[in-house]
Amino acid sequence: MLRKILLPTIFLILGYGFWHSAEFKTVTAGVAIFLFGMLSLEEGFKTFTGGTLEKILKASTNSIWKSLTFGVVTTSIMQSSSLVSVITISFLSAGLLELASAIGIIFGANLGTTTGAWLVAGFGLKVNLSTYAMPMLVFGIILVFQQAKNLKGAGYVLAGLGFLFLGIHYMKEGFDSVSQTIDLAEYAMTGYPGVFVFAGIGILATVVMQSSHATLVLILAALAAQQVSYENALALAIGSNVGTTITAIIGALGSGVEGKRLAVAHLIFNLTTGLIAILGIYQLIAVVSWISAHLGIAADNYTLQLAVFHTVFNLIGIFVMLPLLNQLVIFLRKLMPEQQREVEQPIYLNSASMGMADVAVEAVRKESVRLYDLAVEVITDGLSIQRDVFQSGVKVKSVIKKSSDVIDEDIDDLYERKLKALYGAIVEFIIHTRSGYTQGRLREELNRIRQAGQDIIEAVKGVKHLRKNLTRFMQSDNADIKREYDKLRRLVIRVLRKIETLRTQNDAGLSDSIMSLDRLKLEIEERTEKISNGLDELIRKDRIDVQMATSLMNDISYCREICWDLIEAGSVLFSKSDLDEKAAMRTIALDEHEIMDILETPERESAQ
Amino acid sequence: MKVKRLLDKLKAILSAERQAQLAKYSSLKKVLKALRVEKARLKKELAESQDENERQEIATRLKVISVQRKKGLTVLKELKKEKRG
Repeated sequence: MLRKILLPTIFLILGYGFWHSAEFKTVTAGVAIFLFGMLSLEEGFKTFTGGTLEKILKASTNSIWKSLTFGVVTTSIMQSSSLVSVITISFLSAGLLELASAIGIIFGANLGTTTGAWLVAGFGLKVNLSTYAMPMLVFGIILVFQQAKNLKGAGYVLAGLGFLFLGIHYMKEGFDSVSQTIDLAEYAMTGYPGVFVFAGIGILATVVMQSSHATLVLILAALAAQQVSYENALALAIGSNVGTTITAIIGALGSGVEGKRLAVAHLIFNLTTGLIAILGIYQLIAVVSWISAHLGIAADNYTLQLAVFHTVFNLIGIFVMLPLLNQLVIFLRKLMPEQQREVEQPIYLNSASMGMADVAVEAVRKESVRLYDLAVEVITDGLSIQRDVFQSGVKVKSVIKKSSDVIDEDIDDLYERKLKALYGAIVEFIIHTRSGYTQGRLREELNRIRQAGQDIIEAVKGVKHLRKNLTRFMQSDNADIKREYDKLRRLVIRVLRKIETLRTQNDAGLSDSIMSLDRLKLEIEERTEKISNGLDELIRKDRIDVQMATSLMNDISYCREICWDLIEAGSVLFSKSDLDEKAAMRTIALDEHEIMDILETPERESAQ
Repeated sequence: MKVKRLLDKLKAILSAERQAQLAKYSSLKKVLKALRVEKARLKKELAESQDENERQEIATRLKVISVQRKKGLTVLKELKKEKRG
């Protein structure tokens, strides 16, 4: 209901304002241009998030101080705490960042926004920015039309800055004109009622514009034109700081529980900071005057003093909240615990990760690795392999020896509960994400991961088929058929072990890269062929009957497919190389026919 | 004429497709070089090894690498042609 009437109400108010006052039109147009500039700037920086920013983020967030610095620096450069928040949420949701580090970044981003106030107060309001805006817009738009990703991104950044400058110019012009006709400062309120009312207005303005930066520039422009009192401007700045959390909350709605925890942490930080600033506003004003005097800021330069105030109260917030960071993380985990579900659901996939190409690919990969791990559980249960023995690292022969009893599990039920929904969610995420990308290699990588998921599911389905006869023959008195089925189980374990080696290698040389899986493919072919060839003799010697032989023949085929599917999935999910190198390795990797050719080629010829 | 050629060159440098093609080419070259090094290492190992099982295993790995390299070199040749064209 509120949503339905909010937009028409805003339109009516704006319409009335435009009709009534030309100055109002100029100021609001300035805000609109400024916000458009922010959008353009964010769009520009987003094009650079396909690698560079992620690499910096990964490398510079392994300690709280580093996270804090990252937040300050990136927000200062990009002039958008919202973009930093969104990137942080997507990284956190994709499991690429710890909650404590993410909170550190958000704290830092709050401090980083204060640089905006410094720039506008110290430079933006004193210089005719529109002179710089025009060429920026022209060059920016030319670059936006370029095909190369980086040039396009640079174009958006340049155009964004141009629009920001133009927006500030119009806001300044508007307030200058207002001051010649009416005096808004007449509506100034003193004392705590004034602080609370104007803080409320600051919150409201930021919620509507969804940008504390825009609110702050508006406040500074109004303050420079003496349309708002210094005290009320400070209250507005406090309000804008609290109101900005709405962006983080909206961003976290589509994310997982970690994203929601971060949004609440952001809210707690900004509310605490705001409350401290409101309660101690008069003491803070004294501190700001003292600092300003030491920095050589004139006593009547209220815009720069506002920037000092903004920095001081955010710094106080950090000093108060940082020592409580661990307690905050514990509190948030208690407040929003992970949900235990009967049916497996994705934990890394959410709409927050969709917006950034590399993050989305990494989130899908991580979720698919989860799918693989769950599939290995189903496969080992399906083949009646004791998981603890399998994972202990003992020889493959011993694993089979110690796994002589049938594991009584409903594999269909396990498949339904553990894999089906998760696989469905992965496919759905890939479809939605892929449609947003025109970038070839990331799109290709998403396709490959999707295929890897399909291979995992096919492997499990193969196990479901294989299990029927396996369970029967494991309990049989016929030692020969039992032994043949053990050979099949052994083969699957070898494949799983090899994939595990590939996965755990930190610095994969060629001998442990996906190239080495071709040797394993050859081994599968050799071994399954050997089992098939041995069948005739077993029948001839009356060791197994014909029914057993036909069952075994079918199951050899299933086993072979299971192994190939697992290898294909493993080669996509566990390769340590970068995307281009992985693609090159896959180009060279041998397919079924090429492996068969090696098998059939005499040794001397192919080893040349 | 010179300006047109210069512009064509600039266009080629800025083209995203061209960048991707170059990245593909250099990655493939890198992998092929690694395979060549691995092949030389295995050959040396084969010459030094006395154990029959080990020799057989090394020979099989050599077989696989040879086919992989052959396949890779064919792709590289095609990419080189595209690169020139």
